[in-house]
Amino acid sequence: MAAWPVEWSEPGWLLSLPVAVLPWLFSPLRRADVAWDVLLPPDPWSLALTRAVPLAGSLALAALVLALAGPGVPERVVDKIGRGAHLVLLLDRSQSMDNTFAGRAPGGDEISKGGAAARLLGEFLERRPHDWIGVAGFSTGALYQCPLTGRRSANQAAVATVALPGLAYTHVAKGLALALDFFVDQPLSGSRAIVLVSDGAAVIDPKTQQMLRTAFKRHQVRLYWIFLRGAGSPGIHDAPADPAEDNPHARPEYYLHRFFQTLGVAYQAFEAENPEGLRRAIAAIDRLEKRPFHYREVRAGRDLSGPLYWAALAGALLLLAVKSLEA
Amino acid sequence: MRRIFHDWRWWALLGAAGLLAAAVLRPYGWREAAAYPLVAVVDITRSMNVRDMRLRGVATDRLGYVRTILRRTLRRLPCGSRLGVGVFTGRRTTLLLMPLEVCGHFHELSRVIGRLDWRMAWAADSRVAAGLLDAMTLMARPGLRGHALLWFTDGHEAPPVNPRYQPGFSAVKGKVKGMLVGVGGTVPAPIPKFDEDGRRQGFYRPEDVPHRSTFGEPVRPPRGAPGFHPRNAPFGGEWVLGQEHLSSLRGEYLRRLADTAGLDYHPLSDPSALLAAVDTLGVTETVRRPRDWRPWLGGAAWLLWVGVYAGGWVSGGDDRRKNRKRSNT
Repeated sequence: MAAWPVEWSEPGWLLSLPVAVLPWLFSPLRRADVAWDVLLPPDPWSLALTRAVPLAGSLALAALVLALAGPGVPERVVDKIGRGAHLVLLLDRSQSMDNTFAGRAPGGDEISKGGAAARLLGEFLERRPHDWIGVAGFSTGALYQCPLTGRRSANQAAVATVALPGLAYTHVAKGLALALDFFVDQPLSGSRAIVLVSDGAAVIDPKTQQMLRTAFKRHQVRLYWIFLRGAGSPGIHDAPADPAEDNPHARPEYYLHRFFQTLGVAYQAFEAENPEGLRRAIAAIDRLEKRPFHYREVRAGRDLSGPLYWAALAGALLLLAVKSLEA
Repeated sequence: MRRIFHDWRWWALLGAAGLLAAAVLRPYGWREAAAYPLVAVVDITRSMNVRDMRLRGVATDRLGYVRTILRRTLRRLPCGSRLGVGVFTGRRTTLLLMPLEVCGHFHELSRVIGRLDWRMAWAADSRVAAGLLDAMTLMARPGLRGHALLWFTDGHEAPPVNPRYQPGFSAVKGKVKGMLVGVGGTVPAPIPKFDEDGRRQGFYRPEDVPHRSTFGEPVRPPRGAPGFHPRNAPFGGEWVLGQEHLSSLRGEYLRRLADTAGLDYHPLSDPSALLAAVDTLGVTETVRRPRDWRPWLGGAAWLLWVGVYAGGWVSGGDDRRKNRKRSNT
């Protein structure tokens, strides 16, 4: 709290603040002729009253002018320490996300992988009030969808797009590069993680691999990979038994997993074979990403004119009472 | 006691107290204001990189121009308006942000608009009509229904389309309100070319791009053209070079396309003209915003109260200054 952070919505009213001297110059009371007040003994109560009435009028008028000028504390961002993280959700928006976990177009009450991801990530967002979260999508290109922000409604609007029809292929390297880009010029505080949600993988060439490795280390970003494993997919953990299949082009998931393990940053992979698995994976990340961190919270603006109106009312009532007493 | 009822200043003080008593009860009225539910979709195909626009005298590419105008428009949109942001490339449209209230999410919307980039493209073609149809289909989804579609494009179809196979809009026509917003210069200008890593590699040359559609059957077979064969070369056998490596705003084409799709056409100039055009779409909503009556009540109380004191001055009546003067003499 450096300065007194008051903003005036109608500062022009402040120019009329000098009216507060009026009560010292004029009185609302009627003159009462007294023959010769020297005859009266000095009365401390009366003397106090001659001071108190204009003082009350003056203060009340000043309060009214200040109230009219509309003081308020503007909306501001306050620094806080809490539990949470800087997260970037990196979401696969390839065409295959339109299919169910069983690998076919959803029918009846079935849900597509994209639809399940949108819904469960939406619930995840609701449980993380303090995080600073950004959203990126990727297909053949990388889509910048929402900057790092504390506003969950903006995150929701970006995550909801995963339920829209998918686009093209899975170019995971471009997506990761964009997600890492979110952390450039961000103060290093608490944990930083990328949550990659994809239903496929792609070959990353050695040059790009090296660039990603450097960026992950430089920005101190952890990685979670939620692999939405469709029916018939061999998964990310088992090494290919057939040597003919043991190459990144035949088994991109397995090789991408191996690459992630060599990143030199904390990395954890989850395989989700159905919406329930996805829910468990998200819950695990929810538990893990709860370290103390420095976050910013937007505090809504506040109107301060209320008490001033009350003060003005009190002054007006007092004057009215005094005025009513004169007979 | 009864004499005070003849004193206007008592009445004025009573009035001021009454007005202030009303003010502290925080009376809120409602004010109706216009708000716009909008979805802005921006063409991010290569022709949008053509630098033939001007912003404050500086040459800018079309995409940069759209970004700037969109951000300025965002600043002008009244609170309560909603804006979604999407991109078009290939033959598809998708959204980056579902519609968000513009005042509460100014930062996020502004950042996402600022990051619109041709590198987001997931396909290289530019099928404007197909992309528009895709967008109009998307607009039927929950969360997007009722929003007006603003589709920013230069209208450059690449490769050129065969008018025989243009998508049909009958399924969506009349269900979506919106407009095509044309961007681009009138003089055909070269299209910048980029390599795999996104570095500028000069411009597209005539031999880099197809100059006519040779897909399917022509609308009118060019019988008698050199090399024409009804089955094997229905478009003629000659290699044709045209102007397709250059790009300009295809305003006439967009106007016709808009007409086919049941939308309006608006050539982009500035935020005011854009908002005026949005006004004519008939999607404007009235939102009720609270109106604080306290300044009015307090202002009236101020007038009465100051009048009580000033009245003493004007009438030269029984004020203390006079008393003092009298006692001095």
